[in-house]
Amino acid sequence: MNAASALPSVELTRNRADEDGPVRIAVKGLNFYYGSFHGLKDVNLNFHDRQVTALIGPSGCGKSTLLRCFNRIYSLYPEQRAEGEILLDGENILDPSIDLNELRSRIGMVFQKPTPFPMSIYDNVAFGLRLYEKLPKAELDVRVEESLRKAALWDEVKDKLRQAGTGLSGGQQQRLCIARTVAQKPEVILFDEPTSALDPISTGRIEELIEQLRDEFTIVIVTHNMQQAARISQFTAFMYLGQLIEFGPTNRMFMNPAEQRTQDYITGRFG
Amino acid sequence: MSALTETIALDRSRTRTVRKAPSRSLDTLFRTFSYGAALLVLLVLAGILGSILYGGWPAFREFGFGFLTSSAWNVGTEQYGALVAVIGTVASAFLALLIGVPVSLGIAVFLTQLCPGWARKPVAMTIELLAAVPSIIYGMWGLFVFAPLFARFIEIPVSNVVEGLPIVGTLLYARVPSGVGVLTAGIILAIMIVPFIASIARDMLDQIPTVLRESAYGIGCTTWEVVRHVLVPQAAVSIIGAIMLGLGRALGETMAVTFVVGNANRLSASIFDPSSTIASRIANEFNEADGLQLNALMALGCILFVITFVVLIIARLLTRRVKAA
Repeated sequence: MNAASALPSVELTRNRADEDGPVRIAVKGLNFYYGSFHGLKDVNLNFHDRQVTALIGPSGCGKSTLLRCFNRIYSLYPEQRAEGEILLDGENILDPSIDLNELRSRIGMVFQKPTPFPMSIYDNVAFGLRLYEKLPKAELDVRVEESLRKAALWDEVKDKLRQAGTGLSGGQQQRLCIARTVAQKPEVILFDEPTSALDPISTGRIEELIEQLRDEFTIVIVTHNMQQAARISQFTAFMYLGQLIEFGPTNRMFMNPAEQRTQDYITGRFG
Repeated sequence: MSALTETIALDRSRTRTVRKAPSRSLDTLFRTFSYGAALLVLLVLAGILGSILYGGWPAFREFGFGFLTSSAWNVGTEQYGALVAVIGTVASAFLALLIGVPVSLGIAVFLTQLCPGWARKPVAMTIELLAAVPSIIYGMWGLFVFAPLFARFIEIPVSNVVEGLPIVGTLLYARVPSGVGVLTAGIILAIMIVPFIASIARDMLDQIPTVLRESAYGIGCTTWEVVRHVLVPQAAVSIIGAIMLGLGRALGETMAVTFVVGNANRLSASIFDPSSTIASRIANEFNEADGLQLNALMALGCILFVITFVVLIIARLLTRRVKAA
């Protein structure tokens, strides 16, 4: 897991999937509607524990929609609804009786654009912690440092923890958001095109980071960048027009896709 | 295809022949006009300030610093002091903010975060209509409708309860429960400034990117936590600006306040008691004033000018501090 292995070439041997890994999230017969528009059509899919699963497909194929189902962030908008089952460790998170705030503290999300909150770097990380855990100051300090270290940001910000989070560079802001998410010790982290607003160097650092986070967290990432999917994921799901076309270990998906449409998309013939 | 390129080529040659040098004189004229317009504002401002200072000067000279600290206002003995009016102005404006700001923020948060889509337009429209009501209407309504009800259902019961108690017994006791007074003025002012603050705050909250809001919900915040810790701080600079705009209006509002403030020159610690504001005192007395009384009114005007100016400076300092944080 050294820096050299994050070269922008497709290295497939490194990404060998652990096919026997336990299933963390099971999606069963998931349908999603934006008002009357049918956004996801009968999606069935398993996500494995402590593996990176990439969701790929052309714009509007439903990959972000699927991601937004896992923490039910879509429920902020009354016209959006999901039907079916998403089992997280066997518990259906689409059940109306689920406590959404608690669910979202267990399933972290990082967005397309960095979203630092209008507070200091320290508070950005401590904010989520304070919501769900009552920690004494010393312990809070430890957790904040630990999270910033995990997000590979500690060395850059340790002397300016009291400064505004918005003063950091784009790549640093995105790592701050990752630290904020990691701090809550979630079970799953969702990445929604986390590098689409970043330069190549920042992108490389975030990708390295995602690889390291795999030791602890189950990761789902939506990406437009095929190389990125090949570099960092163990499993890949290809979606098209709201349907899951193909799912499998990333190696096989890129080397030997079963579906013609997957082949066409991966090789850049459409999308 | 080739026909099209020919037409384009033709068009080009034609435009080249009709092109002419830009008119210098028009540009100079425009420039002079623009400078002049900007200069005019400064001149008018300096003129108003100068003439009020000139008019108020005899009063300042006569009473010195005592003009600020004296609560006398006696036309017969020609004794004038600004204290009652200054306190009335500041207190009524402060009460207006105390009542108006939470309500405005509540409206803005409701409209941007909680309101179902179909109700958004009508509610926003109603609030903006409030801003279009002329202040004389608020004054009349305040005096003839609100004040009697306020006296009957708030002032009298509250006075009965707090009578004799320390602090609140003074602060909330009405000697004459007439319904008019500093608090009534504050409430009417609050109604008048709410639409301004609410609509600016709503616009600012609307401009916050969706991803920021989603990521706050995404770490498990409740709506209150999202609003309190993320959305309002994010829009803080603009919201403070909106509040200061409201404060400026509350300080200078004349007509509505003159109706409901009671126009008494009495220094009282009770917010139920009638008092005066600078604007209401001037409006009441300007017609018949001459001599030293007129000078004293002018001097009051100067003080209002200074108070408004100080508010503006504080607003600037506050927004700068929030920006830096």
